[in-house]
Parts: sequence; structure tokens; C-alpha cells
Amino acid sequence: MRVLQKGLIVTQAGDAFREGHVDADGFRIRYMEAGQGPPFVHLHGAGGLRLTRGHDLLSRQFRVIAFEMPGFGASPENDRSRDMPELAATMATATDALGLDQFNLMGTSFGGKTALWLALLQPDRVQALVLEAPAAIRPHGSRPPAGSPEEMARRLFAHPERLAPMPLPDPAVQARQARLTARLRGPDRDADLEGRLPGLVVPTLVLFGTVDRVIPPEMGHFYKELMPNCHLVFVYDAGHAISTDRPEAFVEVVADFIERREAFVISRTDTVIHP
Amino acid sequence: MKVSYFETARYRAPRQLPAQWPVPPAAYDRDAGTQSYHGMVERMQFVEKLGFDWISVSEHHYSPQRLTPNPVVSAAYLAGYAQNIKIAVLGPIVSQSNPVQVAEELAMLDNMLPGRLVVGMLRGITGEYLTYGLNPAEARERTSEAMELVLKAWTEPQPFGWQGRHFRFRTVAVWPRPRQQPHPPTYALGTSRESCEFAARHHLGLGVSYAPFGVIAKATRFYRDACAQCGWQPAPEHVIYRANILIGETDAEAEALLDEQRRARQAFPLRAQVRDALLELDIRNVAGEARTPNVGGVLPTNFVGSPDTIVEQIKCCREQSGVGVIDLMFQIPGSADLGFLMRSLELFGTKVLPRIRDV
Repeated sequence: MRVLQKGLIVTQAGDAFREGHVDADGFRIRYMEAGQGPPFVHLHGAGGLRLTRGHDLLSRQFRVIAFEMPGFGASPENDRSRDMPELAATMATATDALGLDQFNLMGTSFGGKTALWLALLQPDRVQALVLEAPAAIRPHGSRPPAGSPEEMARRLFAHPERLAPMPLPDPAVQARQARLTARLRGPDRDADLEGRLPGLVVPTLVLFGTVDRVIPPEMGHFYKELMPNCHLVFVYDAGHAISTDRPEAFVEVVADFIERREAFVISRTDTVIHP
Repeated sequence: MKVSYFETARYRAPRQLPAQWPVPPAAYDRDAGTQSYHGMVERMQFVEKLGFDWISVSEHHYSPQRLTPNPVVSAAYLAGYAQNIKIAVLGPIVSQSNPVQVAEELAMLDNMLPGRLVVGMLRGITGEYLTYGLNPAEARERTSEAMELVLKAWTEPQPFGWQGRHFRFRTVAVWPRPRQQPHPPTYALGTSRESCEFAARHHLGLGVSYAPFGVIAKATRFYRDACAQCGWQPAPEHVIYRANILIGETDAEAEALLDEQRRARQAFPLRAQVRDALLELDIRNVAGEARTPNVGGVLPTNFVGSPDTIVEQIKCCREQSGVGVIDLMFQIPGSADLGFLMRSLELFGTKVLPRIRDV
């Protein structure tokens, strides 16, 4: 929380979250937690854990646990996770260690692929799966965003000029994360993963921003074609970082899906103007 | 140069109509109405024989001057009688429509008229916002979002949801899909920076209207630059220019008609207070430069003269602004003399059309 002049109080994204750590597979894994209600686990993208207004809004309805996966942020270099299924298994162990039997799971971009693998490994524990701009199916030759903070912002956000300045990333952390994600992201079209998706019956919501400059939103239909219980939603005028660009729109549909699953297609909008 | 005839259903009121907006529906004459719709077909068949490339229809509300509140209904009616002419729906006012319904209806038309549907989508002139109670301050944003949703509904192979600012759908899965792939030739209609950039980003054409050639050129230049930034170059046919035309046997005859038009008072004016309030709320621009919206004003006529003069004006228009399709409003709507309209069409079709093909 910051107190500005004239007594104006501005809360920053993630202010309500408190830090915790959990041990899994020999890793000490940091997480941020806030809220009460059904558990909602989040696995971040290749840039690491960054709490957004989306997390804050979700924590009004759910017990949100946002992990920092091993090798990201201030954690030591992770050269032990050999592939994505192994990282997913570690994260499943971490949820176990927190005493979560069943939970809702959201993965963002790189973490979308981790979340898919986690759901494939332990489908009975995942009540609903949300994939925010998932990077599990990519066009041939796609490259993760790189470059100066300005270049990164142009790739990630629909309107970077509208966002408050963000802290500059530590180059050493960035380099560590880049090595890890390059090693684990797998091929653009991962036959092993895609071959298993038709068997994944967990209710799944896939979201893409209409101006995603990292993974083209046209990738969305592949999930729908491969997964038997998949819903695809486009978030208008959002980039790759949907929950940063349009947090209210993002959380409204995500929370509705978590609450009602497939029945979220039924409108509950009240259109009575006056009784 | 391609030529389109703009058809508005010419309603000939048997009695003087009250000079106010909206005109009370009680003043409507049913026989005159039916006649005006039948006339649409007659005129379409006439211009088709003369060799016009397209016939265009538009959406206008609460207006005896343009009896076409639904352009898709107009187009579907004409489609039943059309042989080879293309039908251009220019276009649905998407700011105040249900975009999914627009996508569905146009996809139907595209299948009924294989290869012969052209689509333009627009924000609508300022006065139209009063029809369905659209907040003028939201019109621009709603237009951009609606156009994007229509394109998505046409092209997305799987059912999807749309989490917009102004539109929200949990399930969109349009049947039929458009016959033309990825969708019918589509134009963003307008001179604004936003229209030009949207068209460039989505590889659409641009439709501009009524303004003098210089103003049009400003918008089309902006559009071409925006297309270049998006890595493509539009063809001449990517730019439509809708304009009024007065053609006479001689320049003098056409000029006399223009004088007569200028003297004619505005037919159905908005109340001054409403007009002024709309002007305050409706922010418009040409290629990023602010412009005053037209609220009930008289639109200029930019092609005036004998066939020779008109040919030169069309050449000049093409040179200045790169327009590849002219969409012509012959004689202002509301004019009672349909005989003169048919003579104008014939004069244009026989004396101008054959000479501008290679322009």
C-alpha cells in the first residue's frame, strides 16, 4: 500500500497476498496466497510470477495460490526438472504439500503447458482448468518475447502506454528463466501432449486476447478441436497478458466458468430496466 | 474504375410531409411505399442492363427520404431479381446492431449471391444514434469492437465466446459460414483514423463518402500508409467513394439543377437543441484531424456536369485519391421526378460508363 499526498491511499496489485513456502521434490517453492473459498492454483508464464489486478479480483471469490515455479524469480537455477511433465509433477506435489485434494487450476502462457501436463497426470484433482494465452500449441518457428523492456511490453500488452510503469526485471533472473523455459517449452507442436489431450475430460476454458502478439489467438481452436470439454473465449482488445490488459473482463468470465463450468454459457444478465 | 448505383427506395410522398424529425409515421402512404420498393427492382434491372458493376444499399432510419431501415432486407429482396450485378450492403450500422446477427445475415446473403456480395460496415451518421438510443460517446468504440466480432464470427472455425467491452457472448458459432473465403469483400466505411487503421490491420477496403476529393485524398493516403505499415498494398478496388452526382446533357443544365438543389430547404431538420447537443457529443476526425460531424446538413454534390465533364471529374477523383469504385447517388433522395432519375442513369450508362472503364 502506498500513501500519496492528500491522504489518498493507492493499493497495488497483490497487496493482499502473503508469502509462503512449500517443499516439493527437493525444491523450496515460494507462493503468494490470498482470499477464501474454493482453491484456485495459478502457474505463471515464462516471465515468472507477477501479481496483477486479476489476482486481486480472483481472490475476492477464491483462495488464490500463485506459485513461483522452481527456477523462477529469486529461486536457485533449476537444472533438475528435465521436461515439462516433470515440472508439472513437482507442482502437483507442491499442491499436495499444501493439503489441497482438489483445486481449480490456471496456467498462463508457458505455465499453460505446465497446467495441461498437471491435469493430464492427475485429472481427478483438477476440478476445472483455465488456460490464459497458453503456449502449449504454437505456430511453427514462434519465439518467446525477448529484448528491451519496451520491446517486451509491446509484445505482451495491447496498450503498454496505458499501464503504470513496472519494476525492471533483474537481468540475471531473466537469463536464468530464459535458459529454463527454452529447455522445457518443448516443440511448437508437441505430438506427445497433443496425443493425450483427447482423453482429458476436465472442463477447460481457453482464453486468448484478440491482439496477442506472442501466440496468435488463432491457435485457440486447436485446443477446442483436441479436447472433449473445452471452451474458447476471446477477450477483445487484450494482448498476451490478458489479466493485466483487461482484468475485470478476464476475471468475470474465469470466475463464472469456475463456478458454473459448462453452464457458464447460460446468460444470467438481468435486462429489466425498471420493474 | 468500377461503378456502383446507390439505391435508397425512392419514396414519393403524395402529400407534403411535415418538415420535422422524426416525421410522424401517420404521414406514411402505404401505396407510395409499396411502389417505392417495386421501383428498387426496376432500377436495379435498368442499371444492370446499362453495365453498372454494383448496386448498393444502406441503413437509414425513420426517414421518408431513404426508406431502408434494414439493408439486408433490401439486399435479399434485390437478390431475388439480380442476374449478374454485385450487391453491396454499405452497410449495416454496426455500432447499434447485434454483431453476431449482422454476421449471420450477411453470411446468408453471401450464400444466396455466390461471389456477388460486397459488405461495408460503419458507425452511422450522427442522427442515426437517436434511433435505438445509442450513446454517441460510445459509438466509435462499439463500431471497432462490432466489426472485429463480425470478422471473427465469419472466420473462426470453432465455437467461441467473446468477452468484449460492449458485447459479450458465451457461444458464437455462425451458420451458414460465408461462401466467399475468408469472407465477402469487406470495407470499413469512414474517413477517421480509426476506420483507416482498422481496415489496414484487417486487410479490408476503405469506403469514404461525400467529402470533396481533397478531403477524401487525405483519408485514402492515411489508409494506404497504414496498410504499408501492416505489410500490404491495397488495390484501387479497395477504395470506394460514395458521392452525389448531377448529370445533364450539358454543363449548363446540370449547373441549373445544382442551383435548384441548393435553394431547396433542408427537408427534415432536427430540433436545434438536439442537433447542438449531438454535435458536442459526437467526436469525428478525418485521418486524425478533427472534423465537425454532419447533423442533418446538406451533403455536397461532387460530380456535376455533362458526360464529358463528369468523365474528367472522375479521372481527377481517381488521380487525387486513388478511388477504384464510385458509388453514385443520382439526384438527391426525396426528389419526386423519377423520370429524370432514369434519364440520368441512362445518360451516365451510355455516355460516361464506357469511357471510364480504363480510368
